[in-house]
Amino acid sequence: MASQSPPIIHFDHATFGFPGVVALDDISLEIQSGEFVGVIGPNGSGKTTLCRAVLGLMAPLKGHLRIFDCACDELRCHHRAKIGYLPQKGVVDRNFPVTVLETVMMGRYGALGLFTRPSGNDRKIALDALAHVGMEGHRESALGHLSGGQQQRVFIARALAQQPQVLLLDEPTTGLDITTQHNVVELVQHLHKELGLTVLLITHDINMIRSRVDRLVLLKTRLYAAGPPVDVLKPDILSQVYGKDLVITERDTIIVEDYHHHH
Amino acid sequence: MLDLLAYDFIQRSLLAAALVGALCSTIGVFVVLRGLAFMGAGTAHAAFAGVALGFLMGWPPLLMALLFGLATVWITGWMEEKGRMKLDVSIGILYTATMALAILFIGLMKTYNAEVYGYLFGNVLAVTSEELLTIAGLSIVVIGAIVLFSKELYFIAFDQEMAEASGVPARRIFFLLLTLVALTVVISLKTVGAILVFAMILIPASTAYQLTHSLSTLTWYSILIGITCSVGGVLISSYWDIPSGPAIVLLATLLFFVAVIFSPKRQRRSLAVN
Repeated sequence: MASQSPPIIHFDHATFGFPGVVALDDISLEIQSGEFVGVIGPNGSGKTTLCRAVLGLMAPLKGHLRIFDCACDELRCHHRAKIGYLPQKGVVDRNFPVTVLETVMMGRYGALGLFTRPSGNDRKIALDALAHVGMEGHRESALGHLSGGQQQRVFIARALAQQPQVLLLDEPTTGLDITTQHNVVELVQHLHKELGLTVLLITHDINMIRSRVDRLVLLKTRLYAAGPPVDVLKPDILSQVYGKDLVITERDTIIVEDYHHHH
Repeated sequence: MLDLLAYDFIQRSLLAAALVGALCSTIGVFVVLRGLAFMGAGTAHAAFAGVALGFLMGWPPLLMALLFGLATVWITGWMEEKGRMKLDVSIGILYTATMALAILFIGLMKTYNAEVYGYLFGNVLAVTSEELLTIAGLSIVVIGAIVLFSKELYFIAFDQEMAEASGVPARRIFFLLLTLVALTVVISLKTVGAILVFAMILIPASTAYQLTHSLSTLTWYSILIGITCSVGGVLISSYWDIPSGPAIVLLATLLFFVAVIFSPKRQRRSLAVN
């Protein structure tokens, strides 16, 4: 994706963490508008820290981070409403009293700002977002009554209702069955193409996204590789990050053995 | 029962009860959904310590209650945010510490002061016209703030981090909510008292929670239940000559259990089991 325009996300030798703990070290990375980027790496590799940094919730300890035209060095970021965010799937209380449409409407709140009440137009944007994820028939349903996959679709619709330029998804397939995982990633790919969204998808499931993304970013505290999947998914590069937990099958499927089973 | 309504003090106390009922049940929605139940209880006890200090030193008791209440919610909110300590631990410590202060202040008083105990148990039937005006004015401020910031308050109750990530000033809204909880407690002290005010915040919203899956419906149900219980409790208390605070709270508790039994959510669960 060689583009002449300046990158919309630019990490410049940026280090993140807390005093005494470095979660991401010396990251330099540029993401162009319209790219579909997958971020991979083992547990504890700093994927979620990267996510919080892009959201403007964490300032770099060293180096710089620029998102759109906002320098995020001091957490006075005004770009948050431009980033549609799907957090890691928490346990949604099945009795939490919120309807699907109420959930999606919340996507409008950040962009509206304080003191402005949602209008008919905001409602229309929320309903359009629900239509994009194929959930328009469930607008009055209780969020808690939906399946895990349907809830993820509603949260993606909430992110879309922000009318974002970037869609940031943190492990969107965790806890879903295999068919639903594919459906969710397919939906993201479809939204990327149809709406021209820049997508940053954080996942531990390399095989799920390797054929769909423009670029992969491989993290383990440091940035080990960033580029087209064929260049990143090479045994010598992967083994630096995953060590002996890595198995590459004859059909080129990459299996990272569950670390916890061995220790 | 209707002839009771002819008395000025009954009219005043019904109005005060309706206002406090509406106020507590509105803020209660956000307290219940944001999981701040214990914080409200702690704030009520801290406010009572403020009242006791006020009486001991001859300072305005409600102002002292407000200062103690605000200090408690802000300290616990700050501790939660910094991740220094779990919320229930810090509020547990402040809760008992302020109660100890209250007992200490009362012990230091040279004479028995019945008025202090009035703030502990409340007496809506003794509300004066001036107090009613104060309650009305402060209720308008708190409910006005809730209406003004309702969309942000709902969002942080649902998921504060998600709210912050999408550009809502979630941290400031959280501290606004804490401040409104402290104000509500102080406004309600004279009518329902420090021990029972928390029931008025917690029970109507929890009852409404049993009955609906929609945030907006939940809020309206909660307010309706809050006003019904407060006004009903005052009428029961004056008709049978029993203390007003317990009458209000026990009526609300009764409604809560009825709602639990007939909750559509509960029935849905039992259908799922079958």
